[in-house]
Parts: sequence; structure tokens; C-alpha cells
Amino acid sequence: MDLNPTAEDRAFRTEVRRWLETNAATGDVKTLDERKAWHRKLYEAGYVGMLWPKEYGGWGRTPMQQAIVQDEMARLGAPPPINGLGIGFIGPTIIVHGTDWQKQRYLKKMLTAEEIWCQLYSEPNAGSDLASLKTRAEDQGDHFLVNGQKIWTSSGPIADWGILLARTDGKAAKHKGISCVLLHMRQPGVEVRPLRQITGSSLFSEVFMTNARAERRDLIGNLNQGWEIAQTTLGWERGANSLGRVTRYAVAFNQLVRATKELRRGGKPLLEDAAVRARLGKAYAELEVQRYAALRVLSALQNSDSPGAASSITKLSYTEFEKRYFELALEILGPYGQLVSAREEFEDIDTSSGEPGTWATAFLWSRAGTIYSGSSEIQKNIIGERVLGLPKEVRADRLKA
Amino acid sequence: MDFSFSSDQQLLKNSARGFLDEHVKPATVRLLWDDPRGESDTLWKEIAQLGWLGLSLPEAHGGSGLGMVETALLLEEMGRAAYPGPYWPTVLAATAIELAGAEAQKKRWLPAVATGDARATIAFLDTELDWRPEAAQTRAEKTGKGWTLSGRKRFVPWAHVADVLLVPAQTPDGLTLFLVDPRAAGLALEPVPVMDLATRLVDVTLDRAPVAADALLGGPGQAGPLLAALLRRGAVGAAAEMLGAARRCLDMAVGYAKVREQFGQPIGSFQAIRHKCAEMLLEAENSHSAVYYAAWALDAKAEDAELAASVAKAYVGDAARKVCGEAIQVHGGIGFTWEYDLHLYFKRAKALESMYGDGDYHREAILRRVAA
Repeated sequence: MDLNPTAEDRAFRTEVRRWLETNAATGDVKTLDERKAWHRKLYEAGYVGMLWPKEYGGWGRTPMQQAIVQDEMARLGAPPPINGLGIGFIGPTIIVHGTDWQKQRYLKKMLTAEEIWCQLYSEPNAGSDLASLKTRAEDQGDHFLVNGQKIWTSSGPIADWGILLARTDGKAAKHKGISCVLLHMRQPGVEVRPLRQITGSSLFSEVFMTNARAERRDLIGNLNQGWEIAQTTLGWERGANSLGRVTRYAVAFNQLVRATKELRRGGKPLLEDAAVRARLGKAYAELEVQRYAALRVLSALQNSDSPGAASSITKLSYTEFEKRYFELALEILGPYGQLVSAREEFEDIDTSSGEPGTWATAFLWSRAGTIYSGSSEIQKNIIGERVLGLPKEVRADRLKA
Repeated sequence: MDFSFSSDQQLLKNSARGFLDEHVKPATVRLLWDDPRGESDTLWKEIAQLGWLGLSLPEAHGGSGLGMVETALLLEEMGRAAYPGPYWPTVLAATAIELAGAEAQKKRWLPAVATGDARATIAFLDTELDWRPEAAQTRAEKTGKGWTLSGRKRFVPWAHVADVLLVPAQTPDGLTLFLVDPRAAGLALEPVPVMDLATRLVDVTLDRAPVAADALLGGPGQAGPLLAALLRRGAVGAAAEMLGAARRCLDMAVGYAKVREQFGQPIGSFQAIRHKCAEMLLEAENSHSAVYYAAWALDAKAEDAELAASVAKAYVGDAARKVCGEAIQVHGGIGFTWEYDLHLYFKRAKALESMYGDGDYHREAILRRVAA
């Protein structure tokens, strides 16, 4: 057990910090073109696609080094790269299950964000029970005819391509009739309608597919192998944001402490209120534990013990913490917690969910984490069944099957 | 950067588990609960022979010179077994002697601790039950031959079996630490009736108790920083024990949920139970991260070692109480019976939550560091 960073990682951190201090975009990085330009710069510096093999345009770095880059970006408040789903999950899926043609065609442009990707998985009636999805892809020989509706599609409005799960065999058991295929988003049969979130912005969307065309050469793996592929996809961004996330919490904590020095109750700063102090102390303890846990995950990745189902513990832990954390912040800030545009005394904070904004934005965003990528309830099922070995629940759909 | 245990550390943990499973079964714990002393000399000699008592003491004084990580590994296993005895108070007091003692004091006490011939404890709390070392109210007055100590030390772990008490007292020079013979004149010991009978606590009244001139541990007025350091170390050790108690309760709850059937199914198949168990595992894993980060930080003298100790104690205190309590809930009625073993660990976790600085103390300590 040695939690000191290696000399190599220390040197790497210094190098990253210098690069970011010199290059971190000083002007606006708001429009898609500006964000793509910043992304490209990060990629060329070797800070995007860090865990991708070099032969596919990646940098063959370690999970720790990837985490260091994100941590330094959080420290500096640098804008994040884009195309996260593509680089984190879709690209690795293509690398593991895709054909040579697919790799040649898609990977490099994904890394450089020349083409933006989205994930077409969830449907209005297939959320946690994803395998009950109804979107159909009819085999037409050289292509599939796709009809159906997807929902909660992040980056939908800006996406050029999507990775689609659709039913290709309506007669097979529900997990066995699904295929995975890449879908061009810029075609007449695909309509993207932005959905407005509780934060007021529209980062996700509904996608309607009406006789949309997916090419046969874009089928990933075999026909009807889609569920298996979706289940076995190993994300290559695991642990990437682990340190950066905690650093953003810590930056927010310092801002909160500054606010408690300015806000007053009973003629003295809120920071001197015993009840406030106790709650801040508790929140910071939890925040630090998130940091220790992040180091433990990175260490496991380094020792290549794949965390497997245990990564559900990590996701459950930080998303639930984040809710408690911003609930506390808003309680302490009182009416100021409601501000949706920043004032001088309560500056913008990083919401750690990709959207800059106020405490209110962070508070609202914190509700998303325990729903996306497998809700807390689904994570607890995974932990219960696959980590603790508790018996599977009796489910109506299993009884039928 | 490596958060995993070395093979030696893993070996130590496994052998501790093996020994405690065999020699400190729940039945053994229950026998000692009923024992007036509350501990067994045979067991004490056995753990001395295993090298546990000298584990962290310097090799020059009969120890093995290992660190807090190894000590925490042992303490986690002891918590898991609800081990009854003065292990941690003794080792902590020996650490105080190692850190501040004169050569003669080290020679007198350290080898004796390592061989199992001496037990020791630190009297942190005074009547106000304030964990800040400077809050000590016990007074020491200089006499011709030495000092006399007067005051009341509360909830001193295992004072009734100790061969030496470490007593902080106020002197004109400030807070000073004294080595006191618990059998000396002017001392009255009174056991406190507590729920975890494997962690005995004793009130110690000092009424002009005479101590020799050479009984000072460290210089006069210099005990404050030493006691603060010992309290932090004590807190990390207690957190490790609480983690062990929580692990035991989690294992028992999961085991029970797999076999106990209601409505024709194992109760672990119900999400209400499964989700509870998942939350308990989450708390145990986070506690593991907190305990071993803090233990490593002490060994490595990391700049955040003091913060990490408070984080571990504050976090694991809450987590272990929750995990052990939920284990009772998962068990239902059987978990509430005296015959079932769960309460041994539930009570151990709760007892340690209030020792070496409770949650409030450590949360305030955290905030003082990060919100100056």
C-alpha cells in the first residue's frame, strides 16, 4: 500500500498543468465550433482518447494519467472535451466488436470530434427494463429499415451518428432479438426533438425514426447479438473523471465556505453557527471519502483488477453523495440558493455535470446522476445480485420466459 | 500509487482472521462478557506470542517496527471478532511512551508490553467529557518528592487491568502527561456499567494521588500536541475496529438474507432487503477507503494525515452504526435477541463511536482545517 503518486505521474501532472495554463481557452468556448476547436487542441496534446490504443489514434496512457488530466482541468475550470459518449463507450465498442471497415471509417473522426456521436438506447417504455425496447430494424439485405422512438438522447441535436439498439427478431425472447447498428443521424427519416430539462437547457432529446436507413455494413457484431454487446461493452473512461469530480466538489466547497462568511445570522457570520459547522464538517468528510475511494478505483484499474460490478458501488456512491451535497449547499444558502444567474457574491460554480451555472443549476443537475446510466435502484440490484450473491428477484418477465 | 495490500499485509490479515476465528469465537466473547475482569490472560499471552502487541513498537524495544496500516488490519479483524481486551489502549499508550518517553521509561515499559507482561491505557477524558486535550481539568501540584494529582478521569478503557495509566493533568507549566500506577494510594477505580462488555470502561478518581518526580512522560507543559497526535491515532484504530464490526454484521445479514424464506422465497430476493444490503456494502467499502487512507497517511506522514484521521473517525462512526443497525433490521426478531450474536458487534461499533473523539469533535476538527 503506497498512495504517493509515482515520480512519473507527478511529472506528468506538472506537464499537464503547464500545458493547460498556457493553452486553456481564455475566450468563450460556447458554440459548437468553439467547443470542437478546443476539443481538437486537447486531442492533439494527447489529452483525449488517452486509453485508446495507439493504432486507433489513441495515446495508450494509464487510467491514472487520464484521471490526472481531468483533475487538472477541474482545478483550472477548463472546459471539458466533447463527444464523451463516443470516446468513452461507442468507440471502444467498435474497437472490440467492429469490423476493420468500421474502425477505419469512424474511429479517428470520433476522436477528433469531427463527427459527434449519441447513444440510441432508452425508449419511452424501455428505461431500466431496456431489453423490452420496441424500435424495429427490418432486414432489407444491404440495409435495415428502422422505425421507432428513442428518448433521453444526450447530444441528439448535434449528433452526426448514433449507436442504435433495435429489435431485429420479434419472435425471439426479449434479450435475444436485439441488434446493434450504427445509424446516420443526418437523414430524412431521423427527426430529433430537443427535450427541455429541469435546468432549463436542452442537452437531451427525443429521436423519431420513420423508415430511416441503417446500412448493413454498420451492423456491430452479428445479427441479434446486440444485447450481449451492450452488456459486455467495457467503457474505457472508467475512473477518468474520478479525481476531477472530487476536485470540482472541493472547489464548490470553498465557494460555499466563502458564502457562509458573508451570510449572517444572529449578528454573526453563518460560518460561526454551530449547526452549520457540523453539517459542513460532515459534508467535507464525505467529500474526502469520495477522493479516497477514487484513488482505490484507480489503483484497482492500474493493477488491472477490473472492478466489474463493483463499479456500481462507485456510481451509486458519488451520485447519491452529490444529491446530499447540493441539497446541503442550498439549505445553507437559503433564498440565495435559488439564483439562476450569478451575482458577484455568489459566483458561477461548476456543476460537475458539464453545464456551468449557479448553485441552483448544480442542485437541479444532481437529480440526474441517480437516474442516468442505470438508476440507483438498478445499481443496487446489480450490487445485490452480482457482488453480494443475493438471489435474483422473481420477475414477471422471467416467469414468462 | 497502490491502494492494495502487500502480500505480507494480506498474510497478516489472513492469519489474524484464522486465529480469531478459532480462539475468539462468539462463545469466547460471551464468556469474557461475564468475567469480572473482562479479558483473558491466556489470550493476552497468545497475541503477544503472535507479535501483535509489539507489532508497531520499535525493534530495539522488542517490537517489529511495522506501521499503522498493519495495526489497522489487526484492529479490523479484532472488531470483526468483537475481541475483548485492552489491545488498542495498551498499544496506543506504548506509542506515547515510545514517542515521548525517557530511555529508562521505554526500557521499563515497551519490552514488557511486547511480551504481554504489561497493559496500559490513556485517560483522555475529564469530567466535562471534552476530547480536546487542553480541556483537561485534573490538576498536578508539585510536592517535595514529586507531584500529587487530583481530579476525575472518566471512561478510561481497561484501567482496572492496566499496569500503568497515562494521565494528562494541568500544571503551572501547562498540560503535562504523567505515568501513574493504578494501584497507588489516592486512586479509586470504579467500573462503568456499559453495554459493550468487551470494551470495559472505568472511572478513575485521583485524590491527591502521589506520583514520583520521574513519572513525567515528556517535558512539563508539552503534553498537548502529543495527546492530539495520540487521539488521532486512536481514532484511526477505532475506525478500523468499527469497520471490522460492520463487515461482520454485513456478512451475517447477507448470509441470512440468502437462506431465510418468507412468502416462499429467500428474503434477499426482495428489493427492500437487497437494496438495504447494497447500501450496507457501499458504507463498508467507503469505510475501508477511509480507514486505510488515514492509516497510510499516518505512516507516510502525509500532509493531510490529520485531516484523514478525523475524516475516517467521523465517517466510519456513522457508517458502522448504520450497517450494524440495518443488519438487525434484516434479521428481524432473531436479530434483537441476546442469544443471537449480532449485538456483540452492534454494541462494539456504537461503543467506539463515542471514543477517541466522537463524530461532532472530528467534524469540527475537519472544518477548522478546511474552512480557516
